[in-house]
Amino acid sequence: MAIQEQESAALAQPEAHEPSETNEKAALYKQPRERFLEVRGTVNKYQSIVLGLIGVIAFFGVWEIFHYLTPETQRKFLPSVEQVVGKIYSLFKEKGYIADVGKSVYRIYVSFFAACLLAVPLGVLMGSFVKLRALINPTVGGLRYLPAASFVPLLLVYFGPTDFAKLALLFLGCVFFLIALILDNVLAVPKEFVESAQTMGASRSHIVLKVTFRAAAPQILDSMRNMIAVSWTYLVIAEIVAATDGIGAVMMRAARFLHVDIIMGGILTIGVLGVLTDISFRLASRVLFPYMYARR
Amino acid sequence: MDLSLRNDDQARQLAIEQGRASGEPPIRAKRVTKEYVGGKVVALDDISLDIKENQVTALIGPSGCGKTTLLRLTAGLEYPTRGGVMVFGQPILGPGPERGMVFQAYTSFPWLSAIKNVEHGMGIQGIPSAERRERAEHFLKLVHLDDFANAYPVELSGGMKQRVAIARTLAQDPQLLLLDEPFGALDAQVTWEMEEMVIEIIERESKTVILVTHDIQEAVYLADRIIFFTRQPGKIKADLAMEFKGGKRFPKKEELLAHPGYVDMEKRLYQMMREEIQGRIS
Repeated sequence: MAIQEQESAALAQPEAHEPSETNEKAALYKQPRERFLEVRGTVNKYQSIVLGLIGVIAFFGVWEIFHYLTPETQRKFLPSVEQVVGKIYSLFKEKGYIADVGKSVYRIYVSFFAACLLAVPLGVLMGSFVKLRALINPTVGGLRYLPAASFVPLLLVYFGPTDFAKLALLFLGCVFFLIALILDNVLAVPKEFVESAQTMGASRSHIVLKVTFRAAAPQILDSMRNMIAVSWTYLVIAEIVAATDGIGAVMMRAARFLHVDIIMGGILTIGVLGVLTDISFRLASRVLFPYMYARR
Repeated sequence: MDLSLRNDDQARQLAIEQGRASGEPPIRAKRVTKEYVGGKVVALDDISLDIKENQVTALIGPSGCGKTTLLRLTAGLEYPTRGGVMVFGQPILGPGPERGMVFQAYTSFPWLSAIKNVEHGMGIQGIPSAERRERAEHFLKLVHLDDFANAYPVELSGGMKQRVAIARTLAQDPQLLLLDEPFGALDAQVTWEMEEMVIEIIERESKTVILVTHDIQEAVYLADRIIFFTRQPGKIKADLAMEFKGGKRFPKKEELLAHPGYVDMEKRLYQMMREEIQGRIS
């Protein structure tokens, strides 16, 4: 109806005004040029790529400058960018680094998805049922304050220098935060969604699974993206203790021989892997939740 | 814990049907009191009320007068402190599909396209998918959204989202339509379009409607009967039949504005509202 009205309104419009002399010339004013630091400024896709690249290049540039500012005798403690990158290359080529990287990636993903397997259902249930929340939240809230690193001795006693001990540490490092974040995501679902489902005669299982969970899912994936970053930060702690493989173990071995280039190579590897993980989560969000992004 | 328990069990629906056949009112409130904050706020104070079938009843009054509370009690989303509300003679013990509700906040699910949203309620009721699609198309057409069937809510304007919500509620085929300030978040022009659309729908679908609104003109335009509430304690100040309309509904709002008796009715309601507001200030 509205559209028809608009169309008929367009037809009924009077003839456009005769162009005046001023109209025929170029624009009367120029839009003020946007400053670099503009409040409510804009950035287009091209600009954001260029600015992002400048930031990355600047970071490595500063690193390089500090390398050359260091006295020559001390330079091996701050190797240059090309030395570190070269070292990563030779690690892959000669030292079977790919197996270590693979092992670390495996540990991160297995422990993280185990944590999600517990945290997502628990967070959704706690967010849906207030009594369950009252039962569990004080405990889980408290557990968040236990530093994951302090579990290392305990896990060593329980499981020895096994792979499982490392997975357990990575799991403990993120699971409690994950529960808290997912609980917040679920609590942020508008209560009218649940109430309107109730007035449609929905059962509790329908409301929890098909309304609350569906409504919170995009934010839950975002919480997972943020928490897997924390998991990566725990990786080296997990692999410090009695590990024979993994990026952290390679770095700890290098530390014994003051091979700073390998240590920095490890840090850089973790950084790159972290960024790739982040990008893959963002892509997953685009694929899983297309309705979040308006088609234009 | 029985997670499969459903509110719309067969026996209850049957009892409601029987109550309807034997002439029970769609909604009967019996000495309903609703208190909040341990009795410090009395939203509804000993209200008794019958809603008549196939009528549009508007509940109006100043902010905080308990009109929304009464609607939520009717929907089964809250329970009275004392007294009871009944639907066709059956006590209301929770929400049910025979009482469809449209909320002020946008409730169309963002992860479903417009047509899937409309189908959602029917899916809950176990209607087969071919019939669901057919009925969803019918109701989308009724709210003039047939061109936007596959659009997601993020791509729709506020008015369109609200039309999806209305179509979804109608598609569950409720015996009662509960509208809780459904146009409260829309601008004046869209509200006006929506009001005329509601008139069109009521004419076609003949539903019993309870409308909560703070807009006097909207109440007079849409309602056959207006119930005016006082604020804290919430009591019925006036129960007015819109007799001046002569049982007519006006597809165009301006036709009502020109109708004899309209101005007097609107003036009367404004005066009541002033009494209530001034009572609060002094």
